[in-house]
Amino acid sequence: MVDVSRVQKELTECNRDREVSGVSIALHDGSTISHLTGTIAGPLGTPYEGGTFLIDIRLPGGYPFEPPKMQFITKVWHPNISSQSGAICLDILKDQWSPALTLKTALLSLQALLSAPAPDDPQDAVVAQQYLRDYSTFSATARYWTEAFAKSTSTGMEEKVQKLVEMGFPEDMVRSVLKSVNGDENMALEKLCSG
Amino acid sequence: MASEDGTCGHPPGHAAAAPPDWNAAPAAGAGCGDPEEDPWFQCCVCLELLYKPVVIGKTCGHMSCFWCVHKAMHFIRESHCAVCRQAYKHFPSICQLLHHLLIKLEPVEYKRREKEVLEDEKRVDTYSPQIIEFLNSKNNNYEIDGENKPEESKRQSPEESSSDGNTVSEHLKKVKLEDVSCALCKELLYRPAVLNCGHVYCMSCLPSLDDGTLKCQVCGSVHPGNFPNVCLDLDHFLEEYFSAEYELRREKVQLMKGETNREGSSSGTSCKDGRGRPSNKENCAGQDNLSDVHIGVGCDSCGVFPIRGKRYKCKDCTELIGFDLCEACYNTKSKLPGRFNQQHTPDHRMELDDSLLVSSVGS
Repeated sequence: MVDVSRVQKELTECNRDREVSGVSIALHDGSTISHLTGTIAGPLGTPYEGGTFLIDIRLPGGYPFEPPKMQFITKVWHPNISSQSGAICLDILKDQWSPALTLKTALLSLQALLSAPAPDDPQDAVVAQQYLRDYSTFSATARYWTEAFAKSTSTGMEEKVQKLVEMGFPEDMVRSVLKSVNGDENMALEKLCSG
Repeated sequence: MASEDGTCGHPPGHAAAAPPDWNAAPAAGAGCGDPEEDPWFQCCVCLELLYKPVVIGKTCGHMSCFWCVHKAMHFIRESHCAVCRQAYKHFPSICQLLHHLLIKLEPVEYKRREKEVLEDEKRVDTYSPQIIEFLNSKNNNYEIDGENKPEESKRQSPEESSSDGNTVSEHLKKVKLEDVSCALCKELLYRPAVLNCGHVYCMSCLPSLDDGTLKCQVCGSVHPGNFPNVCLDLDHFLEEYFSAEYELRREKVQLMKGETNREGSSSGTSCKDGRGRPSNKENCAGQDNLSDVHIGVGCDSCGVFPIRGKRYKCKDCTELIGFDLCEACYNTKSKLPGRFNQQHTPDHRMELDDSLLVSSVGS
């Protein structure tokens, strides 16, 4: 019962100025409009600069009267985002959601969250501790994670595909899994083995 | 390592980063993005043309479609405006002035919306009020091409109005001055405010309705709480669409007010400050104790949603949504029709109903 016409409008509107806003949304796999993938550019002047972060977006049946469920696919080192699961701690995705907000404004809020962490309301206690006690280490770690997980990996992509295919996994599966984990070879292998 | 404890308080600061017009509300109107690209009167919830618009006049003057407002209301607690988050408790009635204005302004699109919404209503077997269609056919013939020639005289405002104004361009306008006139002064609305009952007045006319309670001159309904705020979407539309007349109205109103209220100062706020009624005790009382709330049941007369305290339910209404009254409206023998097109009549039998009371439903 997702309001399909509204979501379609949102997608068009959001992707129209993706160059300027740095956020965009695509269907996750084309079969349903209630599962989407958002992309946000890491804000300039932060440890996330230069990174491209993928967000898994699921729309509940009550959308837009219920908030969209959002979670980082790309691993990120941030006090309000779980370094393990990508779960996000942000009020507008919970009780402060309003139907006048859109997926675009929510993604822009996530972008703002990357610029301005709120370590006093942590999602990831370890990261938050580090942020408060040793900012320079935090900053370095966050930058390293951005380098490692959020930078475009297209150059090495073919090599990874080849490597995993040689291990005996079917190529189309390898490609889709690699895509879903944003090119992280180890996570892809883990996923392929488990599933 | 990472805690997934879910105890986080969700950093609130970032909400401000959401839409750029967020903090500017209500000054930003229902701002749904780029004003240059958005058409007039777009609903900020469904992102379509407003259909059967409801103005949350009580607090902020923001508006949405009938169903968009209703679906967004909280079943147990007070509701919050989708645009500015101000709290309100009453589901306002459809603003018929805006409804008719939209029929004239966007006849084709509005008709399409009507069909679309009716399909949805059939699916859930619950209907928005149809009475306005009926009123409409009495007052105006609405043609799809929107070029209905005015039968009545266009010269509308009796006294001062724009004798040398732009009567020429008026021929071409789909919306006439009389479509957007104040229910009290009968002139072009200047800084319009919408009461809970859906009737529209100039902000400057409201004080003359106020004799302790703000009572609508058209329907006699009492507006709950403070003075409403200016409906800025409508105000901006009038300012642009009837620029010459609007300017005259501005001058006249300001002349009447003397030097005190210059353009740009918010008369909405000043009214609130000056003459606001003490509705605070009502707002705060028992906010934590929700045991007397009837979950998801609203009063069909005053629109309070949900009903607290005694709830009277109609035994004879057969509609799915039922017909309910709060204690106050039951005692005043309200004769207003239901808010969902129920065929309720005053001879129907009402009875106390506790079936959806929090204290009896919850644990």
